[in-house]
Amino acid sequence: MNAQTTENSPKIKRETKNKIRVEFERTSLLTRLRLRFLTGNALGKALWWIFRFILLLGISYVILMPFYSKIASSFMSREDFVDVTVKLIPKYPTLDTYKAIIEENNYFQALLNTTLLSLLCAVLQTFVCSLIGYGFAKYKFKASKFLFLLVILTMIIPHKTLHLSLLMKFRYFDIGVGKWGLFNLLGGGMIESFRVLNFTSINLINSYWPLVILSVTGLGFKNGLYIFMMRQFFRGVPDELEESAYIDGYGPFRTFFKIIIPISIPMMITVFLFAFSWQWTDNFYTSVFFNQQGPKLLPDIIKIPKSLDTSYAGKTLYEAAIRNTCGLMIITPLIVVYLFCQKFLVQGIERSGIVG
Amino acid sequence: MTKAAAAKKAAPQKPRRIASLDKKKSRAGWLFVLPFVIGFLVIYLPIIIDSIKYSFVELRTLSGGTGYRTIFVGLQNYQEALGGDPHFVRILISGIRQLIFDIPAIVIFSLFMAVLLNKKMFGRAAFRAIFFIPVILSTGLIAGIDASNAVNEYMESGGGIDTGAGTANQIVSMADFSWLFRNMQVGTELLTYVTNIANNIYGIINRSGVQMLIFLAGLQSISPAIYESCSIDGATGWETFWKITFPMISPMILVNTIYTVIDSFTSESNSVMAYIDQVYSSGTGNVVATAMSWIYFIIVIAITALLAALISAYVFYQKRD
Repeated sequence: MNAQTTENSPKIKRETKNKIRVEFERTSLLTRLRLRFLTGNALGKALWWIFRFILLLGISYVILMPFYSKIASSFMSREDFVDVTVKLIPKYPTLDTYKAIIEENNYFQALLNTTLLSLLCAVLQTFVCSLIGYGFAKYKFKASKFLFLLVILTMIIPHKTLHLSLLMKFRYFDIGVGKWGLFNLLGGGMIESFRVLNFTSINLINSYWPLVILSVTGLGFKNGLYIFMMRQFFRGVPDELEESAYIDGYGPFRTFFKIIIPISIPMMITVFLFAFSWQWTDNFYTSVFFNQQGPKLLPDIIKIPKSLDTSYAGKTLYEAAIRNTCGLMIITPLIVVYLFCQKFLVQGIERSGIVG
Repeated sequence: MTKAAAAKKAAPQKPRRIASLDKKKSRAGWLFVLPFVIGFLVIYLPIIIDSIKYSFVELRTLSGGTGYRTIFVGLQNYQEALGGDPHFVRILISGIRQLIFDIPAIVIFSLFMAVLLNKKMFGRAAFRAIFFIPVILSTGLIAGIDASNAVNEYMESGGGIDTGAGTANQIVSMADFSWLFRNMQVGTELLTYVTNIANNIYGIINRSGVQMLIFLAGLQSISPAIYESCSIDGATGWETFWKITFPMISPMILVNTIYTVIDSFTSESNSVMAYIDQVYSSGTGNVVATAMSWIYFIIVIAITALLAALISAYVFYQKRD
């Protein structure tokens, strides 16, 4: 041992009989700071941090800016759209646009109808998709792979392809294919003398039934994706949970309701959030299944209210702003839902571990 | 005597019990997926069959709206779609080319963003919340409103960032890029591609929300122990990404590529879909529109199968036990 090491090594002092005190010689603050911050590594890290932060900030700007411009333009009055100096901040703020939309476009009625429809569909879809996903994840039966392929197929076929046939199916609703439908047979469509019912098909257009039927059978909008997500989630749930439930005398369904559902709440909230918001902003199914005579839904409120109809100089801009305000009023309730459920979104997806 | 008979009875029963448990389980499995099976057989299959049938017929509603009559016309609708319609083939080709250009952009962007958002950093929760807004809010109706949005364009005029309002404002103009790449012997095709992506950043961000979520989930499932041993061995972040993260995330790349293809060719903003919709709502064109969408469907299925085959040859699966 040379002198250098002894000098730097901790000094041990005996304070009392049973107690010692160790004194370290600390590196001076300046040296520590220099070693920490004045190296290439730290510089690179700081640059990377700044770059990353600016990048994320920029992309956040791209996402949020359209929302801001919608909000700003919704408060602008007619004069603001002609004035070239007015941008982003309204000069003569007004609530006329909101008032006109609420009164003339029946906003609250549409809101109520859509809330009912979306809640109904989302609850049904979440429940049914977790049921189906659980069946695919935990049970091996002969056709399970083939059936899962069919689920993927329902996801792949664009619903536009089925536009006409969806409309026809639910306009002349019948159980079965073509002439061989149940109602057609009972209603005398096949044999004139054999007539039990006085109709050959049911018109389900303009009711909630088509969407309810599609939801209950796991065929609704993007339900294939939900089934896939739930299946991946349930695959990650350890089998021991169910085995111990079986040993305690539970059947498969009781196990599902008592054991599996409580632990899969975050995932189910994620699916619910998707189902709810995609149903909320959906305009394909609502345009297929509802027409002018049907209940008013949110897509119907996107039109220019009569009192705001204008041949003013800034007409295109003003009308676009009104449409944007309609859009804004449609998504406001969704934003509230999103803020509450947002943390489940990431959590649920993370836990699902959609791997392979 | 009775005991022996009981034993005789019990002996062959034992293997049957085990089989019956299996049977019970498979029956329970069928019960769980029963809603889908019923729905598929009763609703979806007839709808698909009808849809294929409609693409071969002419449709006439009976007077009084009590029913409809179909007249079989063979391949006439397909001929009409491919030959008779002046725009369909052109829009189809340009739409598919756009799709092929968009897929790598979306997948790479969402992977990059997921890697960024996966690191612990200042304001991560807030950024995540902002990044997933488009998944929830910019779909269906809102995308429809945004498709031709004069307000966003106006608000941004002079500012110069794309806000989904069309190509009026460009962040990067072609001239800037060609100046930059003048001496680099890069073809103009690549140049146009890069500028298009930069100018279309809003669309790409909007369409990569779900993919980002899937990538994030995949990143979370990589064991931190692997990263730790990597850093002990002295690997840099760059090396770690290419040697660990990338192979481990490659199954997700497959999933996301397929999801992106499906999502972008069924989305409202897709030009082919918009055109089919336009044909559908124009008078008697609805059967032709059905034929068009089946043609489109077959083409995209072919693309999906090709991409899946191509990528799955390079996918790395971690061995699981």
